[in-house]
Amino acid sequence: MSGSTEFDRLATKPVSRTRETLQALVANRLAVAGLIVLSLLVIVGIFGEVIAPYGINDIDIPNRLTRPSGSHWFGTDELGRDVMSRVLIAARVSLQVGFIAVGFALVVGVPIGLVSGYYRGTIDSVLMRMMDVLFSFPAILLAIAILAVLGPGVGNAMIAIGLVYTPIFARITRGSVLVVSGEVYIRAARSLGAGDRRIIFRHILPNVLAPIIVQTTLSLAFAILSEAALSFLGLGVQPPNPAWGRMLAEGRNFFEQAPWMGIFPGLAILVTVMSFNFVGDGLRDALDPKQKSVIESRGQSV
Amino acid sequence: MRRTKYRWRVTVLVLALALAAAACSGGESVDTGDDATTTSGIAAETTAAPASETTAAPATETTAAPAAVEQILIAAQGSEPDQLDPHMTSAYASFQVLENVYDTLVQPGADLSMEPALAESWDISADNLTWTFTLRSGVKFHNGRDLVAEDVVYSFNRIIEEGLNGWRFGSVETITAVDDATVAIVLSRPSPNLLVSIAGFKGMAIIPKESVDDGSIGTKPVGTGPFRFVSQSPDEGIVLEKNPDYWRAGEGLPKLDGIRFIQIPDAGTKLTALRTGEVHWIDAVPPQDIESLSNEDGITVGRVPGGDYHYFALNQNRAPFDDVRVRQAIATAINRAEITEAAQFGAATANQTAIPASNAAWYYGYSPYGSGDIAAAQALLDDAGVSNLTVEFLVTSDFPETVTQAQVIAAELAAVGITVEINDVDFSTWLDLEGNGEFDAFMLSWIGNIDPDDFYYAQHHSEGGFNFQGYSNPDVDTLLDAARVETDQAARKALYDQAAQMIVDDASYIYLYNPDNINAWRDEVGGYTTRGDNAIRFEETTLQ
Amino acid sequence: MSPRSLTGQSDLDERNMTGFLIRRMMQMALALLGVSIVVFALMHLVPGDPVRVALGTRFDQDLYDALTKRVGLDKPLIEQYFSWLANAITGDLGVSFRNGQPVTTLILERLPATVTLALAALLIALVVALPAGIISAVRSGTPLDYTVSAASQVGISMPDFWAGVMYILLFALTLGWLPSSGYTPFSNSAWEWARHLVLPALTIGLISGSIITRFVRSAVLEALNQDYVLTARAKGLSEWQIVRRHVLPNAWIPIVTIVGLQLGFLLGGVVVTEVIFAWPGLGRLALTAVKDRDFTVLQGAVLYIAFMFLTINLVVDIIYARLDPRVRVS
Repeated sequence: MSGSTEFDRLATKPVSRTRETLQALVANRLAVAGLIVLSLLVIVGIFGEVIAPYGINDIDIPNRLTRPSGSHWFGTDELGRDVMSRVLIAARVSLQVGFIAVGFALVVGVPIGLVSGYYRGTIDSVLMRMMDVLFSFPAILLAIAILAVLGPGVGNAMIAIGLVYTPIFARITRGSVLVVSGEVYIRAARSLGAGDRRIIFRHILPNVLAPIIVQTTLSLAFAILSEAALSFLGLGVQPPNPAWGRMLAEGRNFFEQAPWMGIFPGLAILVTVMSFNFVGDGLRDALDPKQKSVIESRGQSV
Repeated sequence: MRRTKYRWRVTVLVLALALAAAACSGGESVDTGDDATTTSGIAAETTAAPASETTAAPATETTAAPAAVEQILIAAQGSEPDQLDPHMTSAYASFQVLENVYDTLVQPGADLSMEPALAESWDISADNLTWTFTLRSGVKFHNGRDLVAEDVVYSFNRIIEEGLNGWRFGSVETITAVDDATVAIVLSRPSPNLLVSIAGFKGMAIIPKESVDDGSIGTKPVGTGPFRFVSQSPDEGIVLEKNPDYWRAGEGLPKLDGIRFIQIPDAGTKLTALRTGEVHWIDAVPPQDIESLSNEDGITVGRVPGGDYHYFALNQNRAPFDDVRVRQAIATAINRAEITEAAQFGAATANQTAIPASNAAWYYGYSPYGSGDIAAAQALLDDAGVSNLTVEFLVTSDFPETVTQAQVIAAELAAVGITVEINDVDFSTWLDLEGNGEFDAFMLSWIGNIDPDDFYYAQHHSEGGFNFQGYSNPDVDTLLDAARVETDQAARKALYDQAAQMIVDDASYIYLYNPDNINAWRDEVGGYTTRGDNAIRFEETTLQ
Repeated sequence: MSPRSLTGQSDLDERNMTGFLIRRMMQMALALLGVSIVVFALMHLVPGDPVRVALGTRFDQDLYDALTKRVGLDKPLIEQYFSWLANAITGDLGVSFRNGQPVTTLILERLPATVTLALAALLIALVVALPAGIISAVRSGTPLDYTVSAASQVGISMPDFWAGVMYILLFALTLGWLPSSGYTPFSNSAWEWARHLVLPALTIGLISGSIITRFVRSAVLEALNQDYVLTARAKGLSEWQIVRRHVLPNAWIPIVTIVGLQLGFLLGGVVVTEVIFAWPGLGRLALTAVKDRDFTVLQGAVLYIAFMFLTINLVVDIIYARLDPRVRVS
């Protein structure tokens, strides 16, 4: 087995690239900016209630629909609640849904892609046809239908969005596995008698990580957009808990009286998504310059 | 007894079914507040996309009307009629149109008392069990055929056998045509509210059999009303023209040459269309826009107290809501004035009972609960030995005011240590959960009621069809049973007052407010009034 | 990527192509079948059914049973599915539970609005993306390139519903130039048709355009780095001549791919944008069907949307395969 170990070292070469990658990433100013904004967002997400000047449901009807001022930087909504506090606290839900949904898609999609790409044949056909079905589904309708079945709520929104993104990870992983499988070191490992599991996890997975990492970051951006779209349609977090999409939807009814109700949550979405995109782009440039399929994951809104 | 729910969306099913759904009795009501479309976003179509033959379609309207200085009113609806069969729809948008196409045996007048319509007069037998209606002579359907008593019998039987409103004939034994001009209805028990039941709104319309036989009733309604249906298309909306043979033609009615109903689901767009003069009339104004619109030159906002009421109910099959003190504590802790202001921007009247003050015949002023009285509420909770209470509120974004109200109530109840968890689901799911009793509290509204039986019986009688909250008070049952057959108006009112008091005291429903009915129109429109039952009638309307 | 010209495809093996087509179409049929099964299953798992909705709160078990029977919802699920499928294969998608209209009619009625919006949005997207992408590739590294990149980054990150709402705020409510929502058929008034089209088309067009811009840029950039470009440059051709003669013919395959994908999305209806602009397209038809539990309409609409999407994918793949026979191997 000593030969096999030798190969392990050779074949896991990409992992040792971590440092290079980080250096390349840091050199990318936009990616750094994105990282900084995301760090701030995570802090806001964790400590939202502490930072926010008001509670999420501090109703104050006499002061409803007031324009941005010193006491309410982003103005108040139709129930007199502080829009800024609600925007800040809503960051948590967006990030949570984004991370968990994409985590779900990763955990389900990557193994499917690995198995499909490695074993090929019937199992590949079956799995890929299943992914085709999911993929050819209009994404937002799929998510809406899943939410109709499971009931609205954050947890269910995560599952719905996760399912929608699963085929992308499966396809990308499979594609990379197909390329990698043909490489010399895999054939060598196989000829040296390494088991499937060992080959998949020790040799293939590390070599297909780059596109998956890039895809993860970019998918986070779009998962957050998806969550916003769903909550815009009233399907995410339950009121009075704030969600950016939902705040925007409510703001539509008061457009003439209180445009700030819609402007600020929208900006929050834009900034968050853009930050993930910057980081994702930076990662791609650093890890995987040729990877091009990533943006395909964005249809319209979902 | 129409529930807000049955607006355009729901109702909607054609299913061509015999649905005894909770459609309506009092006229149609309006979504006073927001357009359901706004938050949920799933509005009905503005205009469905035309099929490929569109190019040919638009001709209809122009050819239908003579030319020259035609007075065609353009009316904007906030939602799209699902179908035009009066017995099968419960969509308010459909009734806005059908109100002007069909007639009922009698009809609610401006003060909501029942007035002659197709029936010129009626007699009640001494035992109160036989009602004999004499039909107006010379009434013609839009297809030219004379109306006869058989049409009434046919229409009522169709409603009973297949329509959504068969339950309204609960006390009716037989309906017979005595001769061409006389209809006799025999009852199993005295029914003082029979007229409201069988003719309170256009869901009880008299139709010609032939339009059922040829299957055209859902798409090409033929009635006896002031306007004839001309066409419906995604591009043009619904076009009606003057019925020259209308039975009130002698009075010069209708005055308009025609009406075009167009559908604009977005409330803001609808307002803009009125302001720019693209339309003459709109069916509802978002409450937050009433003030600015009222101050605008050239626009009139019609606003009258409506017959609808908004409420919530606690699930009495679940502890601790089976304890009347807990229900009373919640009824005491909420602040109706604040809820009303929050949800309706003041275009409503807070009320602790169901029947609005504007319904003078049946109003019973009774307000036992404090308003946001935290101490009293806390005392009631302590008395009941309840603390750390969590209430799950079932609401639906399809009726966005329920979500708004629930958030206000959540903030108010927090003051007495009650946590409100809002469960906002789509209306289909809402119905399912309500029907299965899966809620701590549900919130909605009932719209278009006139008679107190409609306000109370089905909701609060132990056997009532809408009693999902599980209320059972034998005294209330006795009172409601007695009141529905009591023919003396004063005695009947006394019974309902007693029942109402018990229902409010027991907090079977926790009533919130009665919203106003609101329409708006341009000043060139004359002879139109916003009605208490929200029926949209254009027969006397003029256009300059 | 090696230099490829658009002609000289004579070496294409026709039999191979036919096999490729047949295989792809079978895959497509399978995917559609899968989609129909998924929709069917989801809709029958969902709480609430059309009969329940029709009955409303006035629930009566007998009436419920009778109505359920009348619309055939009492039959075993498998039977319901196969009878639907059998009809669907013959082109009969059934009638709406909601209003009794044939589903095919409902879809066809919404097709003009959907197609109009999709094509208009794509037009905007291409008008923006092609010049922007090419210029930023050719001038790569300049401030112009950064500006284009930044703008496209904003476009990609922009929620369409927010963009739409902002356009309404600006162009409809504040400036009053354009209607805020609705649709007017071309046959009624070309002017109104166009006015109503602008905002929704802009909303999604700019987003699609941003996505396409990035693809165009990277495709052109890649082509610019090929040897034959160096050769051409050495021959003294101007930069624009190079772009026109050598770069574009080689860059357009990935561009076609992404444009096709975008069109596939757009033709399926864009739910949220349609909601915001009250656009009577397929997305809203399907969304309303979910809400009303109008199973037949949802089935039909989703099937159609998936069909559009898969067909466009197939067409793109065929174009791709014709241009690059290697694709068929994989």
